[in-house]
Amino acid sequence: MSVITTLYRFFVEVLPYITIAIFTVGMILRILRWRNAPKDHYSTKINLVESIKYIILDVVLFRKTWKRDKLTWLVLFLFHGSVAGILFGHMRGFKLWSAAIFEPMGHRFADWMVHTLPIYVGWVFLATIVILLIRRIRLENQQLTSLTNDYIAMILLLLASIIGQGMRIFPPEAIIDGTYKVVFIPRLIVLHLETIPSYHWFHWHVLMTQLFVMYTPFSKFIHIISGIISPAIYGSRRKEIGI
Amino acid sequence: MDQGGRKLESNIQEKGKKALGEITRRQIMELDTCSHCALCTEKCPAYHESKNPLHAPGVRSAKIIKLWDKKFSFWNRLLGEKEITEKDIKDLSESAYHCSLCGRCMESCPFGFQTHELWVKVREVVSALEANPENVERINGLLNETMNPYGLEPDTRLDWSFFVDIDVPEKDEAEIAYFVGCTTAYKGVNHDVAFSMCSILEKLEEDWTLLGEDEWCCGNPSLISGNKEEAQKYAEHNVKILESKGVKKVITGCAGCFRVFKYEYPHILGRKPNFEVVHAVEYLRDKIISGELDINQTEKKIIYHDPCELSRLGGVIKEPREILASITKNPIEYEEHGIDVKCCGGGGLLQAVDNQQRLNIVKERLDEAKEKNANILVSACPACKLAFTDGAREFQNEIKVLDIIELVASQLK
Repeated sequence: MSVITTLYRFFVEVLPYITIAIFTVGMILRILRWRNAPKDHYSTKINLVESIKYIILDVVLFRKTWKRDKLTWLVLFLFHGSVAGILFGHMRGFKLWSAAIFEPMGHRFADWMVHTLPIYVGWVFLATIVILLIRRIRLENQQLTSLTNDYIAMILLLLASIIGQGMRIFPPEAIIDGTYKVVFIPRLIVLHLETIPSYHWFHWHVLMTQLFVMYTPFSKFIHIISGIISPAIYGSRRKEIGI
Repeated sequence: MDQGGRKLESNIQEKGKKALGEITRRQIMELDTCSHCALCTEKCPAYHESKNPLHAPGVRSAKIIKLWDKKFSFWNRLLGEKEITEKDIKDLSESAYHCSLCGRCMESCPFGFQTHELWVKVREVVSALEANPENVERINGLLNETMNPYGLEPDTRLDWSFFVDIDVPEKDEAEIAYFVGCTTAYKGVNHDVAFSMCSILEKLEEDWTLLGEDEWCCGNPSLISGNKEEAQKYAEHNVKILESKGVKKVITGCAGCFRVFKYEYPHILGRKPNFEVVHAVEYLRDKIISGELDINQTEKKIIYHDPCELSRLGGVIKEPREILASITKNPIEYEEHGIDVKCCGGGGLLQAVDNQQRLNIVKERLDEAKEKNANILVSACPACKLAFTDGAREFQNEIKVLDIIELVASQLK
């Protein structure tokens, strides 16, 4: 077995356990970091309706950015929309849904949804993250001061998406069947692939995405979680004040 | 340890650590979540005017979380804390006080960080690090001596009333108290505001009183310069006096006093005072709607500027507009108004720290009012009126600046 084959087997058979472990420990450390800080002198009572309203308007639809500047809104919306699309698409690999859900709209449509659309979504994601990265570099030390983890997070995403697109567009090599699954938890969380992608691109993509997952608790990606909590508190607080 | 030529005393490090340790869990979560996306930057009036990166809210957020991490991050706890440097302190102080605490960044933040509270907390850290600007410390000293930030004798608090034809009451008991506020009582430009409010209360034959010398500063300057303990002293005194008079309703014409009385006092005191707090615009609006105050309409074009502490931070937005609708057939709105109002620069002690920045900020509002051909610029806060009046004088803008209380009093039938 060649070194590269051993390495690739490590990416799909061993690394997933390490990824889950680092992610879990990281999340615990992050929660402890918050928990160790003192409680607020005043706790806002969460108003469910207001919380959901603000999460939808501010986090999902980026209402405040829309009001501020339409172009930035478009980039942010496309970026986050493509993230959502990519995450949803990957869920098919985990057998959480299948192409059959689109079959009622016709076979061609279902095929387009699972085979063609993801490529476009990948390009949108790639383009928007490049734009956001350029924007950050341009505004650095003028309007913002990035922390190291702001850049690491974006570069990881950029690499994962470049390799992910490469995986789709480069032709697959002839590889032994059965290689293309990533076992996170045996029989519970296993990524299966329907079509065999490019061998090398696939494995490096698996590595980059796992690095992304490992890094999430230590990075700005934490806003995937905390970015839901803060607008919920904000919305409830505004209701209390009467705005 | 020598940092940049100045030895930082170990007790300052300790005080800084203690203050950083008081940043709450929600605030740490907000700071961790802040992606330094700069979506708030262009909305910040201080940054917009100066273009100094230190004045940008996102940069402030990066500075404070870096400082917090020096003392409390997992790795620094494990491997040893890092020292706070002279540059850290200098940058943080510059950043914290070149801010009018208008809360507009909160309105731009996609995550809804409660930045007004966060920046006040940053000032608490700056204060603990003994890095408050000289003028801010001077104000704190004057407050301590005279119970007002202007350093004027407490027995001159009612001097404005010597020039009016009303015997202003100082009763032992009354239903309503008019809390004048320091910037109205001590700044000549606002004396007519106090007089107007008194004349309206008299016309309505209310059972009302002033506190006179017993009125102390509401404590806002202490709160926003990082001295919570001092602010508690003012809160306790004012509430004690008002409750001892059996007051049921406190009316204030100052947006800062209103916010502090209504939203800060219950936290500072750990209980709700036994009286209702209303801003004068709420009171006047009710009296106009109920028909108790009869108003003459005017054709003049009147533009209304929302005080940040009344609108965005206080939730009073529609009431002044209802008043204006009853006064003029030609009300005008700023492009940025209501909850998204652009600050006039009059708050957050900016005048004490960088008056030129304050004036440059107010200039934009004055220019817009002029472009819209407004005859009168109206606000509902003495600090706003002061900023607009100073700005109009500085930039030779001849627009008439009034408080909404003065406008109502002048239009009474």
